Amino acid sequence: MADSATSRHPLEDLQKLAKEWDVPVLSDEFARLMDINDPLAGFREKFHYPKMGDLPLVRRVDGQPPVDPSEDGIYLCGNSLGLMPREVRNQLDTQMSQWARFGVFGHRHGFMPWAFCDEWLLQDIPGRRPAEETCVMNSLTVNLHLCLTAFYQPAGARTKILLESQAFPSDHYAVESQIRQRGLDPAAEMICLKPRDGEHCLRTEDILQTIQSRGQEIALVFFSGVHYYTGQLFDIAAITEVARASGCCVGWDLAHAVGNVPLRLHDWDVDFAAWCTYKYLNCGAGCIAGAFVHRRHLGEGSRERLPRLEGWWATALRLDETAGQFRVTNPSMIQAACVRASLDVFKLAGMQQIRRKSLLLTAYLEHLLKHRVPSCSVISPRDPQARGAQLSLLLACPVERVLPQLEARGVACDERKPNVIRVAPAPLYNSFGDVLRFVKVLADG
Amino acid sequence: DSATSRHPLEDLQKLAKEWDVPVLSDEFARLMDINDPLAGFREKFHYPKMGDLPLVRRVDGQPPVDPSEDGIYLCGNSLGLMPREVRNQLDTQMSQWARFGVFGHRHGFMPWAFCDEWLLQDMSDLVGALPEETCVMNSLTVNLHLCLTAFYQPAGARTKVLLESQAFPSDHYAVESQIRQRGLDPAAEMICLKPRDGEHCLRTEDILQTIQSRGQEIALVFFSGVHYYTGQLFDIAAITEVSRASGCLVGWDLAHAVGNVPLRLHDWDVDFAAWCTYKYLNCGAGCIAGAFVHRRHLGGGSRERLPRLEGWWGHRIETRFDMTNQMEPDETAGQFRVTNPSMIQAACVRASLDVFKLAGMQQIRRKSLLLTAYLEHLLKHRVPSCSVISPRDPQARGAQLSLLLACPVERVLSELEARGVACDERKPNVIRVAPAPLYNSFGDVLRFVKVLADVMPTDLN
Repeated sequence: MADSATSRHPLEDLQKLAKEWDVPVLSDEFARLMDINDPLAGFREKFHYPKMGDLPLVRRVDGQPPVDPSEDGIYLCGNSLGLMPREVRNQLDTQMSQWARFGVFGHRHGFMPWAFCDEWLLQDIPGRRPAEETCVMNSLTVNLHLCLTAFYQPAGARTKILLESQAFPSDHYAVESQIRQRGLDPAAEMICLKPRDGEHCLRTEDILQTIQSRGQEIALVFFSGVHYYTGQLFDIAAITEVARASGCCVGWDLAHAVGNVPLRLHDWDVDFAAWCTYKYLNCGAGCIAGAFVHRRHLGEGSRERLPRLEGWWATALRLDETAGQFRVTNPSMIQAACVRASLDVFKLAGMQQIRRKSLLLTAYLEHLLKHRVPSCSVISPRDPQARGAQLSLLLACPVERVLPQLEARGVACDERKPNVIRVAPAPLYNSFGDVLRFVKVLADG
Repeated sequence: DSATSRHPLEDLQKLAKEWDVPVLSDEFARLMDINDPLAGFREKFHYPKMGDLPLVRRVDGQPPVDPSEDGIYLCGNSLGLMPREVRNQLDTQMSQWARFGVFGHRHGFMPWAFCDEWLLQDMSDLVGALPEETCVMNSLTVNLHLCLTAFYQPAGARTKVLLESQAFPSDHYAVESQIRQRGLDPAAEMICLKPRDGEHCLRTEDILQTIQSRGQEIALVFFSGVHYYTGQLFDIAAITEVSRASGCLVGWDLAHAVGNVPLRLHDWDVDFAAWCTYKYLNCGAGCIAGAFVHRRHLGGGSRERLPRLEGWWGHRIETRFDMTNQMEPDETAGQFRVTNPSMIQAACVRASLDVFKLAGMQQIRRKSLLLTAYLEHLLKHRVPSCSVISPRDPQARGAQLSLLLACPVERVLSELEARGVACDERKPNVIRVAPAPLYNSFGDVLRFVKVLADVMPTDLN
């Protein structure tokens, strides 16, 4: 977890600024000044940020003034469905125009010719050797299956898969079905690691200890990079290192990590990874996904070492010594248009700046909640380096009692029954003002 | 599936006689277009103009190109043209994304969590399936893998897969890799059926005879519905029947069949099928695909009988978001889904299906038979040096004709493209030409044949 410039808690940074400005951290003025001084403040305008008048569940609440439809909503759900970059419309128009004018010639003419539209996206995926190790293809779960087919190779005593006990359902079902495919019993072969009693997050030392003590039985360690439920950011580098030292393959579901926290898959020696693009990457519901395969698995003899479900796109256009050999099908040009628009925003902002703001935003959220909504507790890790943008809040009451109230007041957040809500200030388009408004509304409800 | 066994050329000749014009005349094409019940559908698409097509240029000795003239787009078998309505559907989805954010999953038009299901009725009508047997998901090759994982179950002596020797490459690679997955040898387990010497198409009797004689070794018969190279429309009903009688499972790649010819997958007892949507379905390059699984495979115990690569979207909707990690499969073909669908792709499919609903496959096929017979007739008389390798029987082909040129295709393709033709090349000397009934006219076909006649080298033996 060496990606922080400092080990100082971001709350200290907030308090330092508050002192400089001579305003309390908990004040409205502080939020206003943070937003004025936010280097990423201009990025909100690059997105369609839903207004009160747009949000389908907003209504006038008894005893409250009328809703101002032109007021910004309180959208803190970018961990689930990222907002639309305005540039998407232009990119879509370009592709529609090319389809209309060129027909089949669009495969090889114009901007992002369709036969190559996935490859046009590779260079902007962060990483040292993106074009070699990265694919833009399919969907997350499909990519997981392509990777698991190649990398889950139970043999001898080494047959098990280690994952979180509360892994995202799609990951759990994918792993289960892959195990059954090989004629093995998921109940026997899945090591579903639970947190300690009374805890919500997994302790890194417990993960590492499990790998070290049971490593010879484990064929594959497969974790999410950021856990969907708790928001825990796992120590990808350390877990990968220990897993590999124990002879295990290591794969990561980065659905909640990509675009949220900086990643160094190549340097961390990760074997494979996959992610969707409609969360922090803001590419739209169900958009084309991504995958990573480390370079050491590519090249000479890879087809023999890594069983693959194959299709023509691995070989159609060029000799494939890259991760592109994992592709099976021609990519969708309209989905590529959405990804292009989104990556252009990320290029401008840069993950370092995004993470820097994220640490401040989420620490600010945590601090406000502690003081203004003391009845709710944060089940996400307290260590800012062990989480991304998201905080998962355990409410003191069932979520159905507050969610409609929150939504009526323009809040977009995520519920996990019975009494957890997930709140994720997204640095590209959320402000300190959004976070403050949210906490006030939550305190009210 | 034909209302008549009369050759469509006879219909053309009958009309020509009524109108007192030769079939080969310009006037005949003009009158056919005036009387075409589907003529109004061209306007529902963006039909590329000469000024739009990237390879159009002025040709020596020819008048200047009129940029506002329609091109000669006969490549809808490869990449279907864009329905104008796609833009409106996309605007709707963009607007909902912009205004609702995450609430778009459950609010507005085609809420994203259900956008694939909004397409099932109309998609299933196109393939003759029940909505519960149909999925809109993934891509063709991914769907083939999901189906092959479930339906290719080699056991005992029954281990082989029967397919065409010149199957579409993605299908061939998919089958190969699935066989290797099971620790078997593709060279031993793939029966790749070749045409007879000197022939291009497979004879139905040879296919049936192979299945009947080798059926006990064959786990799966897996064919394309319409062959990509020859344009042959296989007898899906007969092949399926004989396969099933021999104890084989039967699956179909319908990439070139869907939206091209009428299909009755449920009645024909097909086990599974999959198709892409960017060819005759006009949904855009790489758009979301389709799949079919017969109802008899669904219901109680299907999860045990059909090994599946699973994901959360195959979980029944009532409890899918409870995140219990206890799989409860959907009871329909939806159990084969793994992932949430793409709302922008669903928008494209919605726009396209709306056009098909208006036109209807019966009308489309009726015009297609006339258009393709007309193309064949013109070629025979105007470009006698080229031969048609597609089946002569109109009931054994769709819209496409594959033409064997008397010279390498490079010698004519750039000339064709310079003159606004969009067709497909299959080196060394085949071109594929597919008049699409929804947006092509008899005039397009005539213009194509004139251009081809013009550009064919005169120094041919």
